[in-house]
Amino acid sequence: MSKGLQDIARELLEKGEVQVVVGWGAVKADPDRTRPILVTDPDEVGELVWNPRCVNNLAVYLTKAKSDVQALGKAAIVAKGCDVKAITGLIQEMQFSRDDLVIIGVACKGVVSDGSLWQGELTEENRDLKCRFCDVRTPRTYDHLVGEEVPPVDAEDDWKDVRELEEKTPRERWDYWQEQFERCIRCYACRQACPFCYCTRCIADKTLPRWIESGQHPRANLAWNIIRAMHLAGRCVECGECERVCPVGIPLNLLNRELAKEVAVEYGYRAGYDSEAPPPFATYREEDDQSFIR
Amino acid sequence: MTTADSQSSEQEQRREGAVGPEGWEPKIVAFVCNWCTYAGADLAGTSRLQYQPNVRIIKLPCTGRIDPVFIVRAYEGGADGVLVSGCHPGDCHYSSGNYHARRRFALFRKLMEFVGVDLDRLQFSWVSAAEGAKWVDVINDVTNRVRALGPFTEYQALSRWWKEVPDEQAIEQRA
Amino acid sequence: MARIGVFVCHCGKNIGATVDCERVAGEAAKIPGVVHSENYLYMCSDPGQLKIKDAIRDKKLDGVVVAACSPHMHERTFRRAVAEAGLNPYLAEMSNVREHCSWVHQDIEDGTAKAIDLVRVMVEKVKLNQPLTPIRVPVTKRALVIGGGVAGIQAALDIANGERDVILLERDPSIGGHMSQLSETFPTLDCSQCILTPKMVEVASHPRITLLTYSELEEVDGYVGNFQVKIRKKARSVDMDVCTGCGVCMEKCPVKKIPSEFNVGLSMRPAIYTPFPQAVPNVPVIDKENCIYYIKGKCKVCEKFCGPGAIRFDQEDEIVTYDVGAIVVATGYSLYSVGEKPPGSTIAGYGEYGYGNIPDVIDALQFERLASASGPTEGHMRRPSDGAEPKTVAFIQCVGSRCPEKGITYCSKICCMYTVKHAMLYKHKVHDGDAYIFYMDIRSGGKNYEEFVRRAIEEDGVVYLRGRVSRLYRKDGKVIVRGADTLSGTQVEIAADMVVTANATLAQPDSQDVAQKIGIAYDKYGFFSEKHPKLAPVETNTAGVFLAGACQAPKDIPEAVAQASGAAAKVLEMFAVDELEREPTIAVVNEDTCVACFFCKRICPYSAVEEKEIKDRDGNLIKLVSHVNEGLCQGCGLCVVACPSKSIELLGFTDEQLFAEINALAE
Repeated sequence: MSKGLQDIARELLEKGEVQVVVGWGAVKADPDRTRPILVTDPDEVGELVWNPRCVNNLAVYLTKAKSDVQALGKAAIVAKGCDVKAITGLIQEMQFSRDDLVIIGVACKGVVSDGSLWQGELTEENRDLKCRFCDVRTPRTYDHLVGEEVPPVDAEDDWKDVRELEEKTPRERWDYWQEQFERCIRCYACRQACPFCYCTRCIADKTLPRWIESGQHPRANLAWNIIRAMHLAGRCVECGECERVCPVGIPLNLLNRELAKEVAVEYGYRAGYDSEAPPPFATYREEDDQSFIR
Repeated sequence: MTTADSQSSEQEQRREGAVGPEGWEPKIVAFVCNWCTYAGADLAGTSRLQYQPNVRIIKLPCTGRIDPVFIVRAYEGGADGVLVSGCHPGDCHYSSGNYHARRRFALFRKLMEFVGVDLDRLQFSWVSAAEGAKWVDVINDVTNRVRALGPFTEYQALSRWWKEVPDEQAIEQRA
Repeated sequence: MARIGVFVCHCGKNIGATVDCERVAGEAAKIPGVVHSENYLYMCSDPGQLKIKDAIRDKKLDGVVVAACSPHMHERTFRRAVAEAGLNPYLAEMSNVREHCSWVHQDIEDGTAKAIDLVRVMVEKVKLNQPLTPIRVPVTKRALVIGGGVAGIQAALDIANGERDVILLERDPSIGGHMSQLSETFPTLDCSQCILTPKMVEVASHPRITLLTYSELEEVDGYVGNFQVKIRKKARSVDMDVCTGCGVCMEKCPVKKIPSEFNVGLSMRPAIYTPFPQAVPNVPVIDKENCIYYIKGKCKVCEKFCGPGAIRFDQEDEIVTYDVGAIVVATGYSLYSVGEKPPGSTIAGYGEYGYGNIPDVIDALQFERLASASGPTEGHMRRPSDGAEPKTVAFIQCVGSRCPEKGITYCSKICCMYTVKHAMLYKHKVHDGDAYIFYMDIRSGGKNYEEFVRRAIEEDGVVYLRGRVSRLYRKDGKVIVRGADTLSGTQVEIAADMVVTANATLAQPDSQDVAQKIGIAYDKYGFFSEKHPKLAPVETNTAGVFLAGACQAPKDIPEAVAQASGAAAKVLEMFAVDELEREPTIAVVNEDTCVACFFCKRICPYSAVEEKEIKDRDGNLIKLVSHVNEGLCQGCGLCVVACPSKSIELLGFTDEQLFAEINALAE
């Protein structure tokens, strides 16, 4: 698998089609992990790997937030289906154009959030939660594909995780989330890992007026997490990076997926499918649901 | 979303009026657009209609100008309920502001519901400049529903924690 | 530190009866930043205003809150008073303690508590108010009128007679529109051409009007007072300056079999043609798709016979650009056809009426041409199939209109009246003929309209049958009309010689493209949306763009003309001043933090957000940001909420102000 990827990367770099390949590389000190790497020299493509430990969504390296990568020149990116959705969303949000980028798609049967869980075989147990509902095991768009096409997961209910919580009482849900948000230390790792958090000045850092209370205490934590989710509504591609990087284990993707579900159900829209589609919160239909408005 | 059990117990609670400390009155913040609902509320006034005095209006040009963060702020400030009201579909002074607002709030209320907020605390209405009487109904109904729920103690508890525990101590305490 | 003055009005007893104004003023004085607070019986009276002015001067106030009635009532009054005292008028706000408080609450404790809160909210806002200056934009005093039908003609003439330049744009070879096709007009039975042609000639000869026929709108840029419009002048293949309009080319053209658009297919025209003899301008065009020269490379008969030598086969389309200050859209309507519709169309055809394949079933415009003295039969009633005089004619109303099954729910409004007229004209021409009208309702609101209907029934013997026609089919040279008469509760079958369908009035098929070029809204049928259905039926949501005629909704001639004159008055009103003044409450972008996602641009109802390039000194692009065009922005604030990085502020309603208002209500 990695070999095919390396060949593609070498050719792209040698022919000068791209100046940098954004991919995953092995970590020498810890064979269970991979890390994002930038390859600019065709002789170094051997560093590139592709396996279920390649969990990072590298699309984040294409954004303004990582302007040093942009400065290297035209990029090729190694991307799983979910990563490609993020790329599509970024194109939709005019952060770069499809022509500026070569996508080396990888067919993916799932990844593991903790590399040590994978020792050669993917199982229902070790496969990451986000992969259990995956709709894009073969990327929806790519210039090169590594591996054979994989059919999407045929989940009985695409939103099972969300519905489980929905079925609890309001008080139970409140307590559940308070318990989660209580732990938030406002480190903003979720923001750093998110491809859509490409704002150069985040609202969390906005003063005059202070947009969201700073400091770590329940009221401020609730505000941050609610507003973060709202900001990603209709944009989040459920890559789960926020949740993976959260040092205190808040199930952020569950919050994102609740909104993704509503957008899918109400507006028939899935983020990251079509870069030409108008984002659902920049458009409307006259017949949109208004049963909640008296 | 609520199970049958929890629903019925909630209803029971409301029937018994087992809510709120003595003398407590609900505090409700209404975000309204300038062109329809604000004018509808004006009409209620010129028609001398009477309604409950618990709502405080904040005027904006359009419901499309209302950021969900405003609503969060209102709760943070101790509001027991929030009302958002604007022009009926097709009547928006800015032609499409209320349509965009409708989508945004359809989602925001789902999110609030998901994190456990009772949706009687977050209500929406279309009130036109001609609907003074509807404004009265909306205000009375919103007030009654929030009154039935009692103070928004869950949210206010978050604030109390903040007020009572100085920052450094808090961090130490939780570390 | 702020220096705010609070002025609490009793409004006689209106506020004072249920709000303790003195206490409100007293509480207001305790709010940090409030340096002056008073209450007075009538704040809006001269002495009341004087108190405000004096306090501004004496206490050096930098903000004023008047707690009184609704700002919709007196905001202007108090802002003017504040300005007269030398303070920026946008530093004054009103707390609505009358409509929203004293009038709706009876308990004085409740009322007073609420009034204090409402004052507190506004004090906190005013502390953050910034002095604003109304935006002034220059006006180019030239108007573009799009569409040369009767509405466009009227608007152009009115503006031109108001001594302003007008460009009148028409995409067909001649102006005149649908009205020039009509035979007589209801309810007076004036000959349509007789009343329209003089106006057409006046347009052509008016020194203030530039007439561009056979031309289409390409692009509109800019904003109110300052539009740049690009127009494509399609190649006529005839030099307009040389052609004398003698018509020899049309006689000599070997192509003769092209269905005439003007006569709705009831006659044929050559490849070089004017749509009708009274065309303005009276200069033919070559229909390139049917001209033998353009198809096969040889012929040029017209060129050979053209005395003045006006034929120009090598003429090309020309793009011209004009600066205009206002635009009147008068693009008119199109007529529904019963023909089969392409798959995916939201509107269906009438299979039950033979999809338009029965020759003696004609539509209303075809009947107009049949009845017209200048038409293919010179006004004689002759049916299309065999030229015989029809002795029995059935007229069917609401074909397409008011028919959700066919995809149109609205009433086309003009059909009731023109169908009466048709039946009447028919009876006047064929005295022994029978005219039947199938109708749903007779909608004859309008001056002398109902009388006209009664005349047709009582004097001309037109028979009305209330019911729908379920089927039309040919049999023995007749068209069998099967329908219901719901008033007698019977099925009706009429063997008609000819059937005339009153087809629905539709928007122009390309109206959405036009709307998008100009930046105006349209409804689901493609009719253009007015700014307000009652109080601004001539304006659109885009400042400086006005509507006239049936492009907004189905309209008869007097309505179209009235709206056209209304639009012209609006244009002349705009042109009466050198600069337009606009409310300064507009959105501004923080270019440092903008990340160019352009959600703002997508969501803006006015297309006021533009992409702006920021370049360094050498002209290299540093980044792209959003920019709000202050001429177009209407201050709704949608972009502010859509902006993920909160890099847009709405002046007058900034996030900081709104937070302050919300916080003022916090415990």
